[in-house]
Amino acid sequence: MAEHDDGLIVLTINGREVRAPKGTMLVDAAKAAGIEIPIFCYEPRLGAPIGACRMCLVEVEGMRGLQTACSTPVAPDMVVNTESEVAKDAQDGVLELLLANHPLDCPVCDKGGECPLQDRTFRFGPGRTRSLEPKLHFPKPLDLSPLVALDRERCIACFRCVRFSQEVAEDGQLTFQERGDHTEIATFSGDPYEGRFTGNTIDLCPVGALTSNPYRFVSRPWDIKNTPSVCAGCSMGCNLEITEREGEVKRLTGRPEPNMAVEEGWICDRGRWGYPALRSADRLQAPVLADAVGRRNVPLERAVTEASGLLGARGARVGILLGDAVTVETGFLAGELADRVGGGTPAMVARTGIPGHGLGPIRALPGAQMDDIDGADVVLVVGGDPCTQQPVAELRIRKARRAGAHVAVIGPRPTALDASCEALRTTPGHLLDAAAVINERLQGSQRAVVLWDEADLAAEPAAAEAIARVVAATPGARAVEMCADVSGAGLRALGIPAAGDLLGALEAGDIDILLTIGTDPTTGPAGDRWAAAADRAGTIIEMATHRTGLTDRAALVLPMLAPLEDEGVLVSMTGRAQRLRPGAREAAGAAAAWELIVGITHRIGNPVPDRTPAQAFRRLAEQHAAFAGLDYRAIGREGAVIAAVPQDPGSPAREPVGDGLLIVPCAPVFGDAVAHRSDALEAVREPSRAALAPAEAERLGVRTDARVRVTTPEGTAVLPLEIDSRLHEGAVYLMVGDPSSGAARLLPEDRGPVRAVVSAAAREEVGA
Amino acid sequence: MPQVNSVYRHREFGAPLTTLADYERAGGYLGLKDALALTPDDALYAFHRSGLRGRGGAGFPMGRKASFLPKDTGRPTYIVCNADESEPGTFKDREIIERNPFQLIEGLTIAAHAVECERAYIYIRGEYEAQAKVLDAALAEARGAGRLGPDALGEGRPFDITLYRGAGAYICGEETALLESLEGKRGQPRLKPPFPAVAGLYGCPTLINNVETLAALPPIMHRGPDWYGSMGPEKSPGTKIFSVSGHVLRPGNYEVVLGETTLRELIFTMAGGLRPGRHVKAVWPGGSSVPVIGEGSLDVPLDYESLNGVGTFLGSGGCIVMDDSECIVRACHRLAQFYRHESCGKCTPCREGTGWLARILGRMVAGEGRGAEDIRMLESLFGRISGRTLCALADGAVMPVQSALELFPEEFAHVAEHGSPAPAPMMGEPVG
Amino acid sequence: MTAHEIEEYLAPMRHEFADPRSLILPALKFAQGESGWLPAEDMAAVAEATGFSQAYVESVATFYDRLYIEPVGRRVINVCVTLSCMLRGSDEIFDHLTDYLGLDGEGTTEDGMFTLAKVQCIGACDRAPCLQIDSGEQIGPLEPADATCLVDDLREQPAPARYER
Repeated sequence: MAEHDDGLIVLTINGREVRAPKGTMLVDAAKAAGIEIPIFCYEPRLGAPIGACRMCLVEVEGMRGLQTACSTPVAPDMVVNTESEVAKDAQDGVLELLLANHPLDCPVCDKGGECPLQDRTFRFGPGRTRSLEPKLHFPKPLDLSPLVALDRERCIACFRCVRFSQEVAEDGQLTFQERGDHTEIATFSGDPYEGRFTGNTIDLCPVGALTSNPYRFVSRPWDIKNTPSVCAGCSMGCNLEITEREGEVKRLTGRPEPNMAVEEGWICDRGRWGYPALRSADRLQAPVLADAVGRRNVPLERAVTEASGLLGARGARVGILLGDAVTVETGFLAGELADRVGGGTPAMVARTGIPGHGLGPIRALPGAQMDDIDGADVVLVVGGDPCTQQPVAELRIRKARRAGAHVAVIGPRPTALDASCEALRTTPGHLLDAAAVINERLQGSQRAVVLWDEADLAAEPAAAEAIARVVAATPGARAVEMCADVSGAGLRALGIPAAGDLLGALEAGDIDILLTIGTDPTTGPAGDRWAAAADRAGTIIEMATHRTGLTDRAALVLPMLAPLEDEGVLVSMTGRAQRLRPGAREAAGAAAAWELIVGITHRIGNPVPDRTPAQAFRRLAEQHAAFAGLDYRAIGREGAVIAAVPQDPGSPAREPVGDGLLIVPCAPVFGDAVAHRSDALEAVREPSRAALAPAEAERLGVRTDARVRVTTPEGTAVLPLEIDSRLHEGAVYLMVGDPSSGAARLLPEDRGPVRAVVSAAAREEVGA
Repeated sequence: MPQVNSVYRHREFGAPLTTLADYERAGGYLGLKDALALTPDDALYAFHRSGLRGRGGAGFPMGRKASFLPKDTGRPTYIVCNADESEPGTFKDREIIERNPFQLIEGLTIAAHAVECERAYIYIRGEYEAQAKVLDAALAEARGAGRLGPDALGEGRPFDITLYRGAGAYICGEETALLESLEGKRGQPRLKPPFPAVAGLYGCPTLINNVETLAALPPIMHRGPDWYGSMGPEKSPGTKIFSVSGHVLRPGNYEVVLGETTLRELIFTMAGGLRPGRHVKAVWPGGSSVPVIGEGSLDVPLDYESLNGVGTFLGSGGCIVMDDSECIVRACHRLAQFYRHESCGKCTPCREGTGWLARILGRMVAGEGRGAEDIRMLESLFGRISGRTLCALADGAVMPVQSALELFPEEFAHVAEHGSPAPAPMMGEPVG
Repeated sequence: MTAHEIEEYLAPMRHEFADPRSLILPALKFAQGESGWLPAEDMAAVAEATGFSQAYVESVATFYDRLYIEPVGRRVINVCVTLSCMLRGSDEIFDHLTDYLGLDGEGTTEDGMFTLAKVQCIGACDRAPCLQIDSGEQIGPLEPADATCLVDDLREQPAPARYER
């Protein structure tokens, strides 16, 4: 009877029959049955249980002494009591001892009100303090990093943060020092804790020992509202939780109930601390109208009316450019708008981003979800750098390696994974050469996952095709496209093309009105071309969250909500449709892009039927095969995977443009516009720079502390130089950081291969 | 009251056996010769048959422990010798290492034959650097003579020993903490299962034994397990070394046949008794981590079961004797400070509880006690600390104090009200 | 101490351990031999020589009593104060030494000559009350005067070529 037909093990907890799969720990079996066994150190995402805090002691009949429920697997006919006098005394006792040196400063602690130690003390602990002994004192609080504060007196030495650092992020930086009741969380020699994932230690901390510096004393749990949403910082689509107070986003955290198929509850520091960008000085707060009367703020209603007047004018040739991080509803509605403008002259709709010609075969490979990486026997990263571009993917890849997968990182860039995985550095522009070694690594694999970089393989379609062939021939192998753009996958699924043709039309003078939605094309690839092309359109209408290079030229500026304020669906790089939920609205005069579009269609006199993103989503799901059958509500909190869409074969590869060294573009999320707008990220944001191999630098006669002139057919930028012995000669690695640096503008519009002439900057340029 | 120097061969011989030649002259390496004549399984059976129990403190039957090691796992099997002798009052292994190191090496080699192991580690506490040097020299000599190395077990079967020095942490005497330390980690005990026999050093099958246990093997193999098993009581056969310290006139190590000597004989006949006019007040017979017993228990025979019978343990054999000149609470406070200092900090009850105990006892001793309230607090803390942790350190911290409170309730009550009397340590007494 | 020197020291023993992590403790002890304690640079050198993070190496170092991450005197006088030694007067030995060295309890003398430390049982209870200079022979039984003579003798001795602590 103990092992049921369904393979579940039957046991008894507190007199109730409970069923659980073999291998389940008692604490989880109890939880599934609605019985809470208190825990502190137990956190399966950190690896095997360690049984340190002793909070989960329970009585198991026939076993001597008390058992830790976190490390005791269920067994047939086991009889467990979590509420017996002995078990309760153990719970009460552990809490009493945990509090023996705890300062009990809950009223001034950021964790107060949402603190597991506090909650469990109320529920399972002693009613009053019996300890009259003096408590141990430590200097406090210390800045563990600019972002994380450490209060050692509150620490209960649960090992969670240390295990995260050592065993999940594998950054090796956070450890315990000393022992016994002097055990303390520390970094080497008091250095700051540096990394891309440090904030997760705050989420993991079950007490107020690790807290967020930017959130320090900002709000109390009873004053806040938490909303689950999705990070729009990169194409990973990590789930997170938005904390709102007084209309502002005060904090972002990993979601308490993680999406195990995506981020497993981890978020990167760029995602966590990007929110102050919502209220940076260049945030657009009110609509601006520029007409014969002059340039002035107008009410939103007026601005929408003006927009409809311009866009609805008969014969107006309109181009709509969708930026990164717009929802699929916005993309869909932009298409609906396109049919309603110009008095019957349909608009061109395009997205910023990579055309992806030649990616058809590789995109046709069976897709993997992030959790498929867990069970993979071989994990190959081809091109790109997930560690800087889709950071949380790095954690999943490390996890696979720990579980025994062979991990190889193949591409022209050094990555943070190189030290612990097989690193196969390819010559820039020659990913095709890697097809053979990829084939070799896949031999005999049964559950391989290949993560490939959209930008790198779009630049080398022949490599994409060869690698696709190799992967397709490997049984069980699946692929993940590491998308360059947050909304790329979603907008592509709607059939929205890249912007090359739109740019051409603008330059040819074939567009009268350029409507931009959530983008600043002047700071991106071919930024100078875009700026000139936009000028050729007589009228610019801008929907944007922050000032752009077009703002001062635009006839109409419509402030737009940012993803943290908006509602709708984003599609992650694994094709997972997930819902943004509005956490707050920080710009009083702003509206969601979809709201603005809906309003404009009403004013034009040909309204779309939708009044909410949900309604828009229902219609787009009816019209677009990729979303067929998906229900907005059913997407829920776990998301739903969209269907693959057939790719047009596109045009063949082109040769690199320009002369000089081939550019290897690197676009770390810590260098993006949000990172540069968020004051919280000041210490960790990545600046733009040009990086060279030492020999290359020597050849060019440039030194480390120098600045260099980098010139492509798209323009010139003066950038700081970095010399890195891990880099290939014959290439310049272009680190795209601060948008104002002009680094991204050096790339061609299609982000395809480009060469650059690099030289020492002239003296007068150095000061720039 | 038979004293049999089986492990302490150097005493039988009358001089330290720090050269291989001397050791062999004293009958050394005959045990290995006999062991190698047996199959590994038969050698293992001999351990079993001898009835030898682990001499480090837990007293687990050695042969049974060795038989838990899975065979043919395709992974190496390791032996780890626990020479982290850190239990207060215990210094028996020190003498083996200082004066009879080859017997330990021979014992390890015998064990290696039985469990088919190619490398053993001796984890020696950092404070035994002088002793480690003796062992280093002995290992080098054994290696030079082919007693260790490519053919140590004969027929081309290699075996060698690595000496690994600790750096000052009592907890590393706990076997899984020792393994962690040996693996280059902080010496914190592991969650069990898996037990070291299955997944020990580097996750491989590992036999961990104390120095004295391993050093007992050569005579067992040479004179036969039945000879060993015939000494002393059936469940506790063989010889055991007791380290006697504290208020006795002749502190030192005494190897006796288990069950055939009483505690009184150990203290009064062997260890020279007390100063004139003094009475035994408290004895920790098996290191400081065992319950304390009083004068009324002195006639207990020294073996595992008999000591259990009077509410304590044989433990490591570190017998600390205290006479009526010292305050029991002061002694308990000193021990509590020890455990607080040595708690590794992993488990909450131990990390926080040992310090709490020390603070209460410290106040009591200093005359800042809160009377009955402190006694009640102590009583309630005992149960909240012991039996609730990964390893036995917390139990070891509680047992001596708890038992002392039970044995000397009036004195505790008095000290809780009035503090401890000024200490009057035994000093300048002749040590024989 | 450079990482290279540590690597050279470790080279002959590397094959004895299935995991190079086991080299950290020997490396730390070796590195400490040079200056008698472990400045951050030495721990960093150990990290480099063994291939583990600096923080990890420091974490291991701070677990053990006999690895010092703060400077200590030329000689460390370790006075055992655990029960067996206490019963025979270790506190008196310790107090006598503090007076003699002009210290206020545990600590290092102003001239950097001595660090006086209370330590837990050093396995020489038959020699109680006993002490140990660095990790040398356990010395005892002592009377207060013996302890001060010992200090005087040590003062005459040159600093050890390598510290064994």
